[in-house]
Amino acid sequence: MSNTDNSLIEFGVTGSETEQTPETGTLTEDTQSIISTRGLDVWYGDDHALQDVDMDIPKNRVTAIIGPSGCGKSTFLRCLNRMNDMVETARIEGEVRFNGTNVYDDDVDAIALRRQIGMVFQHPNPFPKSIYDNVAYGLRVQDKPVNDEIIETALRRAALWDEVEGQLDKSARDLSGGQQQRLCIARAIAVDPDVVLMDEPASALDPVATSKIEDLIEELAEEYTVVIVTHNMQQAARISDKTAVFLTGGKLAEFDDTQKIFENPESQRVEDYITGKFG
Amino acid sequence: MAREGYQDRLTELRGDVVTMASIVLDQYEAAVEVLDSGDPAEAQRVIGDDQVLNDWYLDIESDCVELIALQQPVATDLRFIASSFKIVTDLERVGDLATNLARYGRDAGAEPLSPVEVGPIATEAGAMVEDAMDAYATEDPDAAREVAARDDDLDDQCRAASEAVVRELLTTTDPGMGMDMDPGDVESTLAGVSHALLTIRDLERVGDHAVNICARTLYMVENDDALIY
Repeated sequence: MSNTDNSLIEFGVTGSETEQTPETGTLTEDTQSIISTRGLDVWYGDDHALQDVDMDIPKNRVTAIIGPSGCGKSTFLRCLNRMNDMVETARIEGEVRFNGTNVYDDDVDAIALRRQIGMVFQHPNPFPKSIYDNVAYGLRVQDKPVNDEIIETALRRAALWDEVEGQLDKSARDLSGGQQQRLCIARAIAVDPDVVLMDEPASALDPVATSKIEDLIEELAEEYTVVIVTHNMQQAARISDKTAVFLTGGKLAEFDDTQKIFENPESQRVEDYITGKFG
Repeated sequence: MAREGYQDRLTELRGDVVTMASIVLDQYEAAVEVLDSGDPAEAQRVIGDDQVLNDWYLDIESDCVELIALQQPVATDLRFIASSFKIVTDLERVGDLATNLARYGRDAGAEPLSPVEVGPIATEAGAMVEDAMDAYATEDPDAAREVAARDDDLDDQCRAASEAVVRELLTTTDPGMGMDMDPGDVESTLAGVSHALLTIRDLERVGDHAVNICARTLYMVENDDALIY
């Protein structure tokens, strides 16, 4: 794999404007997709974790991914910025197109890809550094300029500035869990990505911290595309524009407007899952 | 089946709404009989028993709110609870209209309300409510559409009946517009006409509530909101 500059820079191609059907997860309305998967399969050894997933993720929207444990939703998320490259047993087939370019092409730099498709994990993982240095980290790695204004902007966008202003030298580890998670979001958006992936970002937080994260996600969608995996269906209903439901076997059962999924899903299996009749 | 307690609560809710509807229909039929008999004791019973319906309404409403708050229903369950929540409001209003009809009948006494026979209209309006509730209970969208389609005919009957009442009034008072009538007769005529028109109006509203029940049933069963909006 090359690690040259030409790889991600060429992702500036506009996304496809396609039609969506609930069966395939492609777009019906005139919505621009920023990430499209086609025939995406993932195996961990012999375990077929994702099967033939076609999905168009709309730009500047919040897309929620829900489903029972082991359904492949986190696997799917991790495919989008090649986090599964780090799993030795993982084998991936099919395409993940980001702004038109298949991220699994040989000449794509995975590190550069992850700058444009950032990720926030279930448990806040700030570095054992100051608040300032946490936010500045990604910029310094990229040899980009760091100044107070950039740090403040990222912290404001992450709805944390008002709580940490004047104490940016404080250790990030001294923040509460909810604050640490918002710091991780600030760190992710400081490098100005196009997409922010979130893997159950609020599952370890109390209701107040969770509601702050949810408010933040809605605000982030004005500038970024957010894809969030959540076990909390009510959270998906509250914050997302689109919802994808994965069921057992790593298959995408339905992908549609969130209101449609939670009011009148097409699939009986999805209906049974979201109403708690199985899963 | 997961969430069995929750599923039991939904089944219970459906049963409660159907039970409330049967009480409403009993009240309504009794009120229609009072229109004919003018029986003051029966009228008073209908009026007094309306509180029973109000209690049912409030209990079911409370159950719906609790289910939404604690169970976060979605999809079919959500549409069922939302529809039931609205349908009990319509049933409660039909109960109120039954008390109106009982009052009109009581005030008119044994005298006929008008030269118009409202019995067929009353029967059809009640039948529409009953059939609408059957459609709800059996989740039958075709039956719901069939009931809703009958409302135009009911409206036509009500319009014709109202016109007949007014025509009768004009005939009675012409040519002196009531000036040459005994004052007692004038009061009696006006009260009769007023009650007749209010009766017809309320029967037409009973039909409207039946249509509302059908609209909510269609939303519940098929997510079809065409009759709602």
